[in-house]
Amino acid sequence: MESVSSLLVGAMVAAFGVVGLFLVAHAADSEMLLFGVSLAGFAIAFDFNLIRRHFNTVDKAHAAEREATHV
Amino acid sequence: MSDTVLAARPVNYNDEVVKKFVIAAVFWAIIAFALGVYIATELAWPSFNLGLSFINFGRLRPVHTSAAVFAFGGSALIGTSLFVVQRTCHTRLWGGAALANFIFWGYQFFIVMAALSYVMGYSQGREYAEPEWHIDLWLTIVWVFYLLVFLGTLIKRNEPHIYVANWFYLAFIITIAVLHVVNNAALPISWYAAKSYGAYTGVQDALVQWWYGHNAVGFFLTAGFLGMMYYFIPKAAGRPVYSYRLSIVHFWTLIFMYIWAGPHHLHWTSLPDWTQTLGMAFSIMLWMPSWGGMINGLMTLSGAWDKLRTDPGLRFSVTAVGFYGMSTFEGPVMSVREVNALSHYTDWTIGHVHSGALGWVAFISFGALYYLVPVLWGRKALYSNRLASWHYWIATLGIVFYIVSMWVAGIMEGLMWRAYDKYGFLQYSFVESVIAIHPFMVIRMLGGVFFLIGGIIMAYNLRKTVTSPTTEQPRQGLGTPLGGFAVAGE
Repeated sequence: MESVSSLLVGAMVAAFGVVGLFLVAHAADSEMLLFGVSLAGFAIAFDFNLIRRHFNTVDKAHAAEREATHV
Repeated sequence: MSDTVLAARPVNYNDEVVKKFVIAAVFWAIIAFALGVYIATELAWPSFNLGLSFINFGRLRPVHTSAAVFAFGGSALIGTSLFVVQRTCHTRLWGGAALANFIFWGYQFFIVMAALSYVMGYSQGREYAEPEWHIDLWLTIVWVFYLLVFLGTLIKRNEPHIYVANWFYLAFIITIAVLHVVNNAALPISWYAAKSYGAYTGVQDALVQWWYGHNAVGFFLTAGFLGMMYYFIPKAAGRPVYSYRLSIVHFWTLIFMYIWAGPHHLHWTSLPDWTQTLGMAFSIMLWMPSWGGMINGLMTLSGAWDKLRTDPGLRFSVTAVGFYGMSTFEGPVMSVREVNALSHYTDWTIGHVHSGALGWVAFISFGALYYLVPVLWGRKALYSNRLASWHYWIATLGIVFYIVSMWVAGIMEGLMWRAYDKYGFLQYSFVESVIAIHPFMVIRMLGGVFFLIGGIIMAYNLRKTVTSPTTEQPRQGLGTPLGGFAVAGE
């Protein structure tokens, strides 16, 4: 459940980031430019954090496994 | 369900997202109060805008209201709702940690984007709904996921019963979604431009705006925080809700009546008379459910009133219920057309809003925060009850300064504007009323300073609660106060 949720949410946020880039490219005023840049930045930061959390969880599981098998 | 059974079936709750919302609520509280003090200073001494367009009153006022209502209040509401729904349904949040994180960061992104757009001069000009169409769309997306997570958690609950606090939270989430979408219907001039034109015109536009505006008060600032009341007061008092039946009656009557009351904001306008009367009549009828709920909240302390001496968090919650009763009495009075003729457009309205916002919304949130922080971070108690008491008295004094000065200023303005001389001319020019209320603007600002100081004391106390070695829990477990009493639907 957790990994499926992360994958779907990550893909959705990445799509928002692309929308942000389109808004920046065609922005007709300073507000839309700022919003587009911020949306793209938000998407990058959010997805990097998702990836970081995924590897942290994997590392934690490996560490627990090593601990359990250690004699 | 008893603590013993809870301990036998431990659930891995998602408290990480709740902690984030708690931190955000404290952070935004300080920002909102500080901005309020600054714009109150501008009202007393206009030169404090320093001649800079982006910090003038017109642009900073929506930053203050949005920071108070949506950033502080919204973070407190969403955070507590996600805490309460897990505890009372005895299950982890639906949708996984990633979706919960998206709700948190997406909501914070909305707040920051809205605030930046206001100071840049972009606004729809709709009260409490100032953000332009693209920010509204973003909030809609975040809100729909919030609804899905809340509903999903309710659906997969491990308890047969849905506790009443969840009913209030659910009404808040669904109704705000409907209000937001309908009120913000607009046509952008381009997909790549921030400017848009609203879907409504004239008096219909005004009616939709105040249908939204009043129900933002009714469902965001009332129903949601009543959910908070129905969970955290029983938990802190260690007593079940005084009358569960009354809480259900309270819920359905409040939900049915609030939605009709918006037209009382448009008395003496081109809105048809019958619509104004309808809004007024429903506002007066709202006395019953509001006071029923207040009585239920207060009577929950039966047999536990002594705790007010020792638990400053509970003192905040109970005082909040008192302010709820007071402002829900004052509101219907002000909705009567003849009273409204005096009060409308004056600072009396501002005082009324702040008796609700500071006395009810902020105080019930402070009570919940003082309860939640030790529980979430696994600490045995608050760092300092004395500091929490100082917060309580300083904030209460601040509210008194604020609302009394606004009553006096508002009634004075209303009377000056309607006074005429023996020849039938207006006795005072508008600027004379502005000069007359200047001392009360200064007192109001001082009230805000008091409230801000209280907020800073709270932030320090909560920070020390989390970090100080003196609050460390001697043992792990679900006993009181970490788990609290199983009295609120668990």
